[in-house]
Amino acid sequence: METGDPVVRVDEDPYEKEVRAIFHDTLGLIHIALVTHYELEEGEAMELEKDLSFWFLRFCMRPGNSSPRQSRPFLLVACCQFAREYQKYVIGAGVRGSDDRLKKLLDREPADVARDFSRSLDLLDFRNHDA
Amino acid sequence: MAREYLSTSEEDRSEDFKEENLSNCDVLLAICKILRDGVEISPAITVTEASSLYRWAANPLSAVGVFDEREYVLGEAALIAAKGSRVLGKLSDAEHWLDRSDAAFRHTVNPAPSLAGVAFERLALRYAAGRYEETLELLPSLKSSFKRLGMDIENAKTQFLEAMALRFVGREEEHFSLLRDLERAPEVRACPSLHGQVLVHIGVHETAVGEFETAARTYEQALPIVMKGNRPVALCELKWAIGDAYRAQGSLRRAIESYRGAKNDYQQLGFRAFVTQISLTIAETLLALGRDREAEWEILSALPVIEEEKMVPEGFAAVALLRESVRCRKTDPNALRELREHLQAKS
Repeated sequence: METGDPVVRVDEDPYEKEVRAIFHDTLGLIHIALVTHYELEEGEAMELEKDLSFWFLRFCMRPGNSSPRQSRPFLLVACCQFAREYQKYVIGAGVRGSDDRLKKLLDREPADVARDFSRSLDLLDFRNHDA
Repeated sequence: MAREYLSTSEEDRSEDFKEENLSNCDVLLAICKILRDGVEISPAITVTEASSLYRWAANPLSAVGVFDEREYVLGEAALIAAKGSRVLGKLSDAEHWLDRSDAAFRHTVNPAPSLAGVAFERLALRYAAGRYEETLELLPSLKSSFKRLGMDIENAKTQFLEAMALRFVGREEEHFSLLRDLERAPEVRACPSLHGQVLVHIGVHETAVGEFETAARTYEQALPIVMKGNRPVALCELKWAIGDAYRAQGSLRRAIESYRGAKNDYQQLGFRAFVTQISLTIAETLLALGRDREAEWEILSALPVIEEEKMVPEGFAAVALLRESVRCRKTDPNALRELREHLQAKS
């Protein structure tokens, strides 16, 4: 039903827009990390991705954090940290088993795992510049 | 929501109201920002609110954001409480809060910028305690951190702290040169609160070297910038500095007018130590004008605060001499000057 009142669109803050764009660009890598490497289920990964997006927006607002693009490695650290804590809890509670590969991954520091993923980020950036 | 939360008194905040607001991380961080911005306007309230926020976030049953956000909020709340404690002159409390802030920020993702903020506050504390050489020794490392992190305004504030410490160790030329460089820096000009402070202290230096006309122009330039900066303390400092400039030129009546303006403002902010200091300055100026009775009233209003707040060591001779001289209705100007200089050196 038309009311005659114009719909007022509130433009998103340009900085927030940039943060969301960076997050979106990195989402593929995050999903691979969560599902393929940390072996989360699809539903669990999607819930975590939602939390990560809110966290990343607030993280980029913290004083001293540089551009959203330069904050991407920290996004991966947070992703690996949470995935590790979550899986350790679930495995510890007996809800799920784990294999040797996953055990080795969970023993590694999330920052180290994230650093490996960051190298994939550099490749992504390179490809984007090339395109 | 954050403003509504803070404008509701503690007694009126039900558990549900607290839960609704504080379990929303966006509201929580907005509360932190408002407290941080208001620390110099109402430091006592800020410390109370920040402490309360810290206790809430430290409770494992409280839901605080996701990932490292509990540690971040703890670090922020503790840092805000530390700043407020320092402004109130409670240096020991400030140090404890900084330790808590440090301990929390260490567990956040990318802790470097937050820890640099804590390091700045530690230096500000050393400066407040009169440890100027130590402050100067540790400054270069912090400036380098802020530069590396791209935190330009924080770097500028560190340089301002450096300029003030240089003055107190007698390195006046370096002090003035640094202030001049800061005044021209684009990041300082974009920050009225800092720009205003820098201009005020340039004016103070110009007055001290007898360049009264130049100082007057500097103060004129400073006034609208200080008003824009929304830092009431800076406006008090400006009025005090203008009073000093008038006094140095022998315009004692105008000096008193300016000093009384600053005293009034400090009173409204609750800064008892500065109110006391400026009362003694007013008293000295009144004595110079031969208005002895009014000088006595100013001194009598200041002495109880000096004792209550332990602003001088026990048995400080000038206090006893001054009290006795006022009692005899013949104020001792030397004792008054000695006391005023002692308090100004400490502040």
